[in-house]
This record gives sequence, C-alpha cells and structure tokens, in this order.
Amino acid sequence: MSTAVPPPSRKEILSLFRSFLRSSRQFSDYNIREYTKRRTIDAFHHNKTLSNPTSISAAFADGKYQLQVAKRQALVYYFYSPKVKSIMDIKY
Amino acid sequence: MASKIISATIRRSLSPRTLPHIRPLSTAAAVTAAAEPYDETAGISMKGVKISGRPLYLDMQATSPVDPRVLDAMLPYFVSRYGNPHSRTHLYGWESDEAVEAARAQVANLINASPKEIVFTSGATECNNISVKGVMHFYKEKKKHVITTQTEHKCVLDSCRHLQQEGFDVTYLPVKSDGLIDLNELRSSIRTNTGLVSVMAVNNEIGVIQPMEEIGQICKEFNIPFHTDAAQALGKIPIDVNKWNVSLMSLSGHKVYGPKGVGALYMRRRPRIRVEPQMNGGGQERGIRSGTVPTPLVVGMGAACELAMKEMEYDEKRVTELKDRLLNGIRAKLDGVVVNGSTESRYAGNLNLSFAYVEGESLLMGLKEVAVSSGSACTSASLEPSYVLRALGVDEDMAHTSIRFGIGRFTTEEEIDKAVELTVNQVEKLREMSPLYEMVKEGIDIKSIQWSQH
Repeated sequence: MSTAVPPPSRKEILSLFRSFLRSSRQFSDYNIREYTKRRTIDAFHHNKTLSNPTSISAAFADGKYQLQVAKRQALVYYFYSPKVKSIMDIKY
Repeated sequence: MASKIISATIRRSLSPRTLPHIRPLSTAAAVTAAAEPYDETAGISMKGVKISGRPLYLDMQATSPVDPRVLDAMLPYFVSRYGNPHSRTHLYGWESDEAVEAARAQVANLINASPKEIVFTSGATECNNISVKGVMHFYKEKKKHVITTQTEHKCVLDSCRHLQQEGFDVTYLPVKSDGLIDLNELRSSIRTNTGLVSVMAVNNEIGVIQPMEEIGQICKEFNIPFHTDAAQALGKIPIDVNKWNVSLMSLSGHKVYGPKGVGALYMRRRPRIRVEPQMNGGGQERGIRSGTVPTPLVVGMGAACELAMKEMEYDEKRVTELKDRLLNGIRAKLDGVVVNGSTESRYAGNLNLSFAYVEGESLLMGLKEVAVSSGSACTSASLEPSYVLRALGVDEDMAHTSIRFGIGRFTTEEEIDKAVELTVNQVEKLREMSPLYEMVKEGIDIKSIQWSQH
C-alpha cells in the first residue's frame, strides 16, 4: 500500500518560508505581524535538523496548513483593523 | 456588486504592502471612497488623555489577545456551524457536539486529565464559585471548615466570605514576605472537619508560584479535597493534576490567548469529588453546569490549549529573556526598584515592581502609552492599595507605587525597550519633583523624621 509521498524539496521548503514571510507582512496588527515573522524563522530553523522523511513531510504539511490560516487571518485582521495604529507602528 | 467590492479590496490587500500605517478602507467605505485625507496626527482622545496611537500592551495578566490561530478555529462556528451541541436530531447539533468534545479533549490533554473530568463554564470566576461553594454545600453535614490564603483571587475570597455568613469557618493563611505560604502553618491549621483547601497556583498580581506538589501531598495525607485556581498558570507552567494531586482546578480561556467568556473546571473522578451545582437547569455538562455550551468559545479555548501545549517551551524561554531585558533595563537607570514577591518561584511573565519615592497614581497617569496595571488591579475602584501586597507585608507607600508588567507571547523586544524608556523617564521626572527624594539623596532617613502636627 505504501505509495510514499516524496518529502518536499529544498526549493519547496524555501518557497513556503518566503510565502510565510510575505503573509506576515500583510498583518495590520503590529504584534501579530512581528510574532508571525519571528515564529516562522524560529520554527524553520528548529526543523532544519529534521532528517526522518516522514517527519519532514509532516512538518511541511503542517506548515502549508498554517500558511492558509495566516492568509485567512491576515484578511480578517485587515478588515477589522482599528483606525488608529499601534504606537509602535507610528513612532518607528 | 458586493463580490466586486470584496474582490477589489482583497486584491488591494494582497498587493505588496507599502506603508503599514495607511488607514484601511472598510468594504463599505470602498463604495463611497472619495480620497479621504488621512490624518496622522489624529490619535485617540479618551477620558481626557490624548495619545497618538494605541498603547503597547503589557497587561497580559488582565487578559491576553486572541491568537489568530484560535480565531481561525472559532470562526466557522459563528458563520455556518452554528448548531446547539445539545440538539440530538440534526447535523448542526451533531457537528457542534463533535467540536465541543474535541475541545474538551484538547483542554484535558494540557493538564494531563481525562476529557470526562472537564466541565465547561463561563470563566474561572464561575469555576471558583462552583468549587468553593459547591463543595462545601455538598458536604455541609460533616465538613465545616475551609482553608485558603490571603492572596487568593477576589472571587474565592468573596465566596469564602459568603460561606462564613452561612456559618462555615474559614482560615485565611498568611503568606511570607515572598508570597509563598508556609507549609507548616497549613499543616497545623487542618482540622478533622476541614472540607476544602484552596490555593491558587500562580498569583495574578505578583506572579509567585505556590509549592503545589507539597500542598497536594499534605492534602492527600489528610484526605482533603484540594482546589486550585490555575487561571494564570494554564499554558505557562507545566500542569499535571496527578502530580499536584488536585481534586478541582479552575481554568480560564482568555488568559491563554483564547476568547473571553469561557472557562473549564477540572473535577477529579478517582476519587470522585461531588459538588452542588450553582447553575440549575437542563442538566447539561453532567448536571454540574446547566446551560447551552457556547460552541465557538469552547472551540476557541480548546484550540488555545492545544497551541499552548505546543508553544509552552518556546514562549517560556522568550518571556524569561524579555523579563530579564525589562528588569535589567530599568535597574540600569534607576535605583530604589523592588520586585514584589519571590524571585525564584515565579512566573517570568508577571513582573510586579515598586518604585520608591514615587506616587503610584501619578506614575500611571504618565504612562499612558504603555498599557500596564497597578498592583491593585482587582480592587482598582477603591484607592486602597492591593490586599495582596498588604499580605506580603509591603509598606503602604511602596504598595501604592507598584506596577505590574505582563509579558506574553506577542510582546516584542522593541516594546520592552520602549516600556523601559517611558517608565524610566516618568519615574525620574517624578523623583526630580519630589522633596522626599531630595531628602533621601542628602542622606536623611525618612523613617526617622518626626512629622509635626499642625
């Protein structure tokens, strides 16, 4: 039964990473934006050392799901963002 | 027509972001959009205070922002899957019930309990009420005594006061100056008719972590139910109901980056603890808490708990680093800064500082760009200093100037740096104006002054 899905290639992983960062830039909320960026970088760093192909595929699938969550929520946060921005966005 | 507007807005939003502070147009405004000149100096003016933007949020103990992943899990249950989980006859009810049970398992996993031991309520306050009053009313024939601490949350203390009016005895254990209770005092205050010991795991004002395992051991020895208010502890420190030997635990949704209005009560099944329900009705939640279970909120709490389990280590490391950054940053520029509560047995995300020779209200009024709370958050309506700080034995003047910084998952280094800068500026400004501080700098001991009566 084992039609093993091949683990994602380096190019696919990098593309996912870039999509995450792109999506994080679209959050209108300062805290969520910074968190998404930081968490993506830390998560990909942490998973860099994974060697088992099943765990790599699992992490990649989870990453793709989280990317969809991030894209949806970026829209929701955009539609409901407050008129006045956070102090951190104004001063910096 | 509406879909055209929505797709136009979506296209605009997915295009490369330019300036993050352009005021976004809502879909309604997109129709009538003349070029409204946006006003960067607009800012907010509320309650007589003018600030240029939304303050940076450092009050995580009061509540926490909802994580976008939690919101994503909740939205389908507002939009399309809006059934009542207790409807047994159609798809809406079945899928809603499935979601509630899945959330129950997620909450149970975080505290190493079985899903059958979790009851969903409207929040930790309701859980505390059920635990304290419910247990004592159920066992009121034989058990007449409750032990709690002086630093508990207001809802526990108020429930105990209510019990006292009904004729029960309550012992309020004092705390040492670091905020922890003395285990020998606990042991000596146990009587044969003690029905409940209630000690909160992580204090909401000072952040100290009580010795839960030891208290659990003592309660097991004397066979007394052990209740803990773990609202602030959930998702932040590892909780294991078997290691702690708790019979009842109150959990809150909005302290773990979940929605407000939901909580969970853990009730041990072996040995079974019985309570008298405080909300009577159709017998939902095994009769403990009747009323429709709010599916979206419960799903949110479940998602938040699952996230907390995955992220606990990462968050904890980060929060500790940020706390060190904050404390060292403030201590580098100011003296006379005291941390209230034990520094060892403490949750890092709660930093309660007292600044000497500074008046608390004026300090808070100057810190309007940082959302922090003074030590007396729960009693903020009155002018008296927090009862928790008073129980620690902190002097009145230091208790008045306490500030509680709450650091969480979404706090950034820049926010911490800015908070340090604003706090240091404000404290220096106030101390500059203070004649008391001048006297201290000259070397006069304030306590030895004889203030004359006029």
